[in-house]
Amino acid sequence: MSAPANRRPFDAGRAAYLALNGTLLAFLLVPIVVVLIFALNPTPYISFPPVGVSLRWFEKFFASADFMNALWLSLWVAACVLVLSITIGGACALALARGNLPGRAFLTAFFMSPLMLPAILTGLALFQSYLLAGIGRPTWGLILAHTLVAVPYVLRTTLAVLHNFDRRIEEAAAVLGASPARVFFEITLPLIRPGVFAGGVFAFIVSFDQFPVSLFLVVPKGETLPVVLFNYMKFDLDGAIAAASMVSILLALSVVLVLERLIGLKAYVKL
Amino acid sequence: MRLRALSFGVDRSIVLRHDGRRMAAAVRSRPSPIAWLIAPALLLFVLFFVLPFGVMTAMSFFSSNPVSNPNAVLTTRHYERFIVDSAGIFHDALWSTLRIGLVTTVISLLIGYPLAHWMARMTSRLGHALVLMAVIAPMLTGIVVRTFAWMTILQDKGVINTLLMQWGLTDRPLPLMYNEFGTIVALVHIYVPFMVLTLTGVIGRIDERLEQAARSLGAGRLRAFVEVTLPLSLPGILAGSLLVFALSISAYVTPSLMGGTDVLTLPMLIAQQVGTSFNPGFAGALGVILLLVSLAIVIAYNRILARLSGEQGLA
Repeated sequence: MSAPANRRPFDAGRAAYLALNGTLLAFLLVPIVVVLIFALNPTPYISFPPVGVSLRWFEKFFASADFMNALWLSLWVAACVLVLSITIGGACALALARGNLPGRAFLTAFFMSPLMLPAILTGLALFQSYLLAGIGRPTWGLILAHTLVAVPYVLRTTLAVLHNFDRRIEEAAAVLGASPARVFFEITLPLIRPGVFAGGVFAFIVSFDQFPVSLFLVVPKGETLPVVLFNYMKFDLDGAIAAASMVSILLALSVVLVLERLIGLKAYVKL
Repeated sequence: MRLRALSFGVDRSIVLRHDGRRMAAAVRSRPSPIAWLIAPALLLFVLFFVLPFGVMTAMSFFSSNPVSNPNAVLTTRHYERFIVDSAGIFHDALWSTLRIGLVTTVISLLIGYPLAHWMARMTSRLGHALVLMAVIAPMLTGIVVRTFAWMTILQDKGVINTLLMQWGLTDRPLPLMYNEFGTIVALVHIYVPFMVLTLTGVIGRIDERLEQAARSLGAGRLRAFVEVTLPLSLPGILAGSLLVFALSISAYVTPSLMGGTDVLTLPMLIAQQVGTSFNPGFAGALGVILLLVSLAIVIAYNRILARLSGEQGLA
């Protein structure tokens, strides 16, 4: 008698719960869809509703020397950051997980701290240091600055993999007579590779989309894409920005798919 | 070194067979050669992180660049300028930075909690992966791009105002942008994923059977949630909130594009001092103030996380 009576409000609650979460999910995703609409809408200024579909904004983006220089600089910096951060971050993760270092918890928190401290302050501090050292604002200074904020991502994904795999595999190889170098190259390295790669993918995106760290470290005419877009947006809002945004969104989406393939997104969730 | 590494490997495997506990103690006591792999990271972080923050702090106590200007003297005048605040803008900037951070955090929590709960309790693997992707995809889209998206939605000729006017709900466009409201909407969108990811981990670790037990003892669904799940997820709420607060008080792009002339935050003030006023000393002082606020938050966050992982170890 009471069971069906209980059931009805339960279902209504469930429906409300799902509707709420659907709305919240839409809040997260709608802005990305809107950008796509404006990237394809041919009107000279951002206006709604869209009147048609055209690729003129993509043409403008890819034909503009300013945008293209910035895009290539961003891609070049991000590629360097990718290589540097997987080398430095991967090595650091191995040392933290396998090195029996004293104060490991403190060191881990220390290497993670660029994620928590205001990135704009990292940029400011480096700007002032470069100023004091009188070295100007070289591209390698920008690359190393990005590497600093990218290393924590590599560290996080690699540590997640290192914590998950069975250490006895390495010990078994050692017992069977493999030298430590051979254990490292034939057992440890292949096992942590997905974690390191996943971190590298994040490092690439973090560098490619980086704004606060770059702000004070780029020179006029040598700005990265996010800085160029930001400066453009202060005066003009047209479809070229939407097209540029679409290019970076597509890059991010392909990265998500690659990540899911590599390690599954779950490993990343451990913040 | 090489020899030591070899013998280390061997006696560890022997000890392993005899006494696991003694082995664990021996392993813990001395660093292995692998520890040297930390050197490049340490070098990078000392030269490009610790040292620069030291430089920034030092600069905030100099009247001008001590290297290029031999007449530079030690002074506290940058801090005095902030404290005295004769123009009446610095305290306002600090206050609106904290206020925007707080409101962003609260709204992110209200939006993030249901999503995190949904994700943590989802049984379908595919559904879980899809929601997770939907949460992470915006996270991987740059801040500049996401701010642009909100500008196209909230501006006078944007999506919302056009629709409202078309439907005859308003004659004039609503002021949705170039103010604190627009800034907060975009900031919430940018930082909600961090809240969701932090909360999902914590809610996922809460044993669902506790809630079921409460319900079998007669509590309604809502009461079981409020009295069982919610209190148990409190550490996650705290950790996620601190993370979002720390991120949103250091935001620069969003407030400067969405805030118009209405909003001035500490990071915007810092950028002004570097870009237009070229006063690195005062910028350094403002940086130190923002750093101190953030450090306090980061330390609290790490303590909560440490306690969380401790509890997990006990379970």
